[in-house]
Amino acid sequence: MTARSEVPSSFRSSSVRPGSLALIRLGISETLSRRRLIAYLIRADLKKAGTDTLLGNLWWILDPLFQMLIYYVLVGVILGRGGSTPDYPLFIFCAILPWKWFTETVQGGVGAVVGGERLIKQIYFPKLVLPLASASSAVISFGFGLIPLFAMMWFAYPDRISAWLLLIPVVGVVQAVFSLSVGIAVSALNVFYRDVGNIAGHILRFWFYLSPTLYSVDDVHKIAKGNALIIRWYELNPFTHILGSYRSLIYYGTAPDWIGLGAVFVAAIVLLALAILLFKRAEPSFAKVL
Amino acid sequence: MSAYRPNEHVAIRAADVGVKYNLRLGKKRTTFRETFVRRLRRGDRTDFWALRNVSFQVRQGESLGVIGPNGAGKSTLLQVLAGIILPSEGEVDVDGHVSSLLTLGVGFDQELSGIDNIRLAGAFMGLDHRLVEERLPWIVEYAELGQFIDVPIKTYSSGMRARLGFAIATSVEPDILLLDEVLATGDAAFREKSKLRVAELVTAAKAIVLVTHDMNWVTEYCNRAMLIEQGGIVLEGEPQEVVDLHQERSAKRREEQKAAGVFGAKAIAAATASPPASRR
Repeated sequence: MTARSEVPSSFRSSSVRPGSLALIRLGISETLSRRRLIAYLIRADLKKAGTDTLLGNLWWILDPLFQMLIYYVLVGVILGRGGSTPDYPLFIFCAILPWKWFTETVQGGVGAVVGGERLIKQIYFPKLVLPLASASSAVISFGFGLIPLFAMMWFAYPDRISAWLLLIPVVGVVQAVFSLSVGIAVSALNVFYRDVGNIAGHILRFWFYLSPTLYSVDDVHKIAKGNALIIRWYELNPFTHILGSYRSLIYYGTAPDWIGLGAVFVAAIVLLALAILLFKRAEPSFAKVL
Repeated sequence: MSAYRPNEHVAIRAADVGVKYNLRLGKKRTTFRETFVRRLRRGDRTDFWALRNVSFQVRQGESLGVIGPNGAGKSTLLQVLAGIILPSEGEVDVDGHVSSLLTLGVGFDQELSGIDNIRLAGAFMGLDHRLVEERLPWIVEYAELGQFIDVPIKTYSSGMRARLGFAIATSVEPDILLLDEVLATGDAAFREKSKLRVAELVTAAKAIVLVTHDMNWVTEYCNRAMLIEQGGIVLEGEPQEVVDLHQERSAKRREEQKAAGVFGAKAIAAATASPPASRR
């Protein structure tokens, strides 16, 4: 019996490395050819996520709920800022949920390649599957997070339900591309500098407060008092548009910020290509450095 | 040099292969601070050639035993042949599906059951999933896992893990099999069994490269052998001849070490100076 296989049956490895475009193309094609491996890795992730806890995968639904509850109590009740925003729990939940997805992707990226140390040293496979699989698990966890969101809307805010909700996947695609590019870059960098994990944690927290999660973009405009510089900078944050669009669809029931969203999408595609390039450049050193 | 049969299919061809390690990055847990400190004292030489000027061929049906002292570059050589490490200079041509079992436990995820691990390992090796399902019963039986197959791997003994790893790597008949010290693991009974399996693969006209410290295995089952020291090939040829030279040189090294005192200044100087790779 000969081995039926998804990997090429012969290869040549030499000290000559392909150029940038060829590397990006190679990264995409070799990842696409290993879809089954990615599926297995995701399944393994999901299986493990449920073990050793009493409630298992129920935590995917409870985690975002508790997170929302904490911010509601802090900002809405203690600081008393929720009063001016009607339905404040929904207002923050529809931004916290996608943000949680982003943090999970970045944090998963930090551990993705480093955690595969043993594998990387023992067997040849396209290492891109590692951050891709962890990013995909985060997508699934986001999908589960939508369950309490919809339940909350159904029971507490039925008049906010609109057909715009159907467009959530569109914003999701934009966010997925952007998160993936960050996840891939972080997973490669963390191999060389373990500081990346620490730094990422702080940046994520700062980024969270700088993004319109607990407040709206209008609040920023009010504070900026027409200061064009602040508003310009604020617009550069991709999450201004991503979270703003989610909020339009879910909370306001209006059209998303199409132009902003489109700009973020284009930028995210470029970032993804650069992240793949960075990853592929670094990949040959993984087995030596880890 | 052993009797080459020139019209036979070449499975592995290594031409002037060199692998350079950057010791600056190779350190565990590099941080910005360390890099910064090293940048300041740039005097340190941080390049290290684990292999240099290595050229050889393996034809189909051949079983090449690679021997040499610890740290000679044997495992690095296998990693290059498996495609895990790219050569820093020279090139490697590998024609055929490679199955590598460099340290036992490919794809092993502690939290997953044995059966899930087999599937995951198969996916990592790029095997078609139908093929993996086909071979599953064989792997389970060969690894002697019994009812343990459905429990997480973390409960396995090291012997069970070794058996499972060996079974997975040899479950399909790869064109080229790379083995690193696998024959030293497991109990005596399993060692015998694994020897038989490797011998089976050898006769199935597949190419094998194995790294081992078991000289009997080299003389019994390999039809060629290669001695590597300090990243270079010292001798390549008939197994008996190569093993004899290796034992002779090891004995000499031990003598020298004894003379210098193991922790003597000379021994340390000799170890750090790393003279250029000796060749035939």
